[in-house]
Amino acid sequence: MKWNRRKLIDRIMSFLTAACVVVAIIPLLSILYTVTINGISAINLDFLTQLPKPEGEVGGGLGNAIQGTFIVVGIACLIGLPVGILAGVYLSEYGENRFGRMVSFVADVLAGTPSIAAGIFGYTFIVLYFGFSAIAGGAALSVLMIPIVARTTEESLRLVSGSLREASLALGIPRWKTILHIVLSTAMSGIITGALLAIARVSGETAPLLLTAFGNPYWAAGINKPISTMPVQIYTYAIAPFPDWHAKAWGGALVLIILVLILNIGVRFITRKKY
Amino acid sequence: MKLSITLILVLAGVLLAGCVSNPPPDQTTVQPTVATVQPTKAPATITLTGAGATFPNPLISKWSFEYNKINPNIQINYQGVGSGAGIQQISAKTVDFGASDAPLSEQVYKNLTGILQIPETIGAVVVAYNLPGIQSGVKLTGDVVADIFLGKITKWNDPRIVALNPGIQFPAKDIIVAHRSDGSGTTFVFTDYLSKLSPDWKSKVGKGTAVNWPVSTSLGGKGNDGVAGILRQNTYSIGYVELIYAKLQGNISYAYIKNQAGNFIEPTLETTANAVAGASQTLPAGDASWSSVSIVNAPGDNSYPISSFTYLLVYKNQADQTKGKALAQFIWWAVHDGQSYSSGLQYVPLPNAVVSLDEQTIRLMNYNGQPLI
Repeated sequence: MKWNRRKLIDRIMSFLTAACVVVAIIPLLSILYTVTINGISAINLDFLTQLPKPEGEVGGGLGNAIQGTFIVVGIACLIGLPVGILAGVYLSEYGENRFGRMVSFVADVLAGTPSIAAGIFGYTFIVLYFGFSAIAGGAALSVLMIPIVARTTEESLRLVSGSLREASLALGIPRWKTILHIVLSTAMSGIITGALLAIARVSGETAPLLLTAFGNPYWAAGINKPISTMPVQIYTYAIAPFPDWHAKAWGGALVLIILVLILNIGVRFITRKKY
Repeated sequence: MKLSITLILVLAGVLLAGCVSNPPPDQTTVQPTVATVQPTKAPATITLTGAGATFPNPLISKWSFEYNKINPNIQINYQGVGSGAGIQQISAKTVDFGASDAPLSEQVYKNLTGILQIPETIGAVVVAYNLPGIQSGVKLTGDVVADIFLGKITKWNDPRIVALNPGIQFPAKDIIVAHRSDGSGTTFVFTDYLSKLSPDWKSKVGKGTAVNWPVSTSLGGKGNDGVAGILRQNTYSIGYVELIYAKLQGNISYAYIKNQAGNFIEPTLETTANAVAGASQTLPAGDASWSSVSIVNAPGDNSYPISSFTYLLVYKNQADQTKGKALAQFIWWAVHDGQSYSSGLQYVPLPNAVVSLDEQTIRLMNYNGQPLI
């Protein structure tokens, strides 16, 4: 077979793209592999259901940290998802003006700020007045979620074709109903993806939680009290000098990855038929 | 469509509700009391919150665990967020007690009116190195260590190192210097020691939780772990870590340091305790400034010279009587019974002289002028 220039370039480029996929995936797989190898031995029923114990005591787990992470991320979702999605709707549907473009730009900048800044927000506006609490932690995380959710919602709504909107409006359906029933519905898959990305992103954040949710060696006593979260507990374990605390840190990291995975698959499964 | 937004929110809500509505078994619920017979009722849970240095975190966690066994209604929540952050939290009064590896500076002490500094345990810093084929026990003096970190001694086979260690064959390699990149009580102790032993170090670098490291090629690591990692990865390196890291991570070699009496001392819990006992005769009162307190280079034939107190920080005047009382009782327990858990976790128990000083300090804690203990 005779190689001509176009075929050759085609082959080279195909190979290059495949090679880049491999390069991109190597660190990911290596992280998964390392976390699994180091973490799997720490995981058992006690690890998932018990309170942490100090060094020198047998057993103990991350039960309260798992509970706390659900609570704090839940609060973050309750604040972040509605605000983010509605902001996204505004940007896409009503934001063709100076203000809208400015908000988009600010959201992009916010999405790139170090997460500790969100912690400072939670600390300054909530902790200094009401003390460390799950709410402060959730609020800090929602600051990280909102720009991600808003921008992905905006982008997905923009992908909905104009003719679809026009068809709806032509039938005499008011604009708000068009947005609610036609545009959002069509873009739902993208919005869900954005929400999941945001949840996954904030679930692993340590810095914003250190001085907002704080931490707690006991079970959650209410959302206005300090609360344990997995990233903070993992951090505490990881920087300690004890080898068995390091093992627990690896175990905690693995549990966190699995939880985010389950959440992703779960939401995809529930919504698979519709979108 | 509406359904799925609801679905996501409900999902989040369910997770939230599921967690909150599932009251943990060992939680004492606070119930509004109808005026009935009190004694049979479990007392309300009192939560004491503390934040500060990461170094004493394992010990304070152990204390809170054991103390909760004796007093099930008292929960102590301590988080190791760093000495600096701990001082900030106690000054913002977001916590009931703080903890710091270094004594409060004169300035901070003045700003925090009525602050008490209560030494609760002791840390030692070891000079660790990675020299292939050479075990722990290289003998060094404060002077030589200072000159290594100043960049005046650059080779392992420098005559001053060789002279201290007859019989050890040092390689003709450049010394790689490792230090902490984050603000740290460990750095404070180490630089405090070097300042005391080397006038040159004192004038050029000084002491502090973070300093300007004079050797431009030196490597910074975050946390004791970070420095230990640098030491492992770089042969011919030297650095400093907490004693506990050197003891628990067996592959770190460390130096014996010359003390005031002229002996080269291996860092251990015992030699550190000796140093503290020797140095703790001249400590200030708990409500005075401790900024000049230093127990490095302590007297005593068998005293290891690089160690320091770490401190609990509480206010003399407590705003809440119940909490204040619980706090005073807990700290009282920590400096007495609590000390028995020290050695098991590689901490140095407080000598008696310091315990009695702490007793006087804790007695200063009061609510509206009424002592809490």
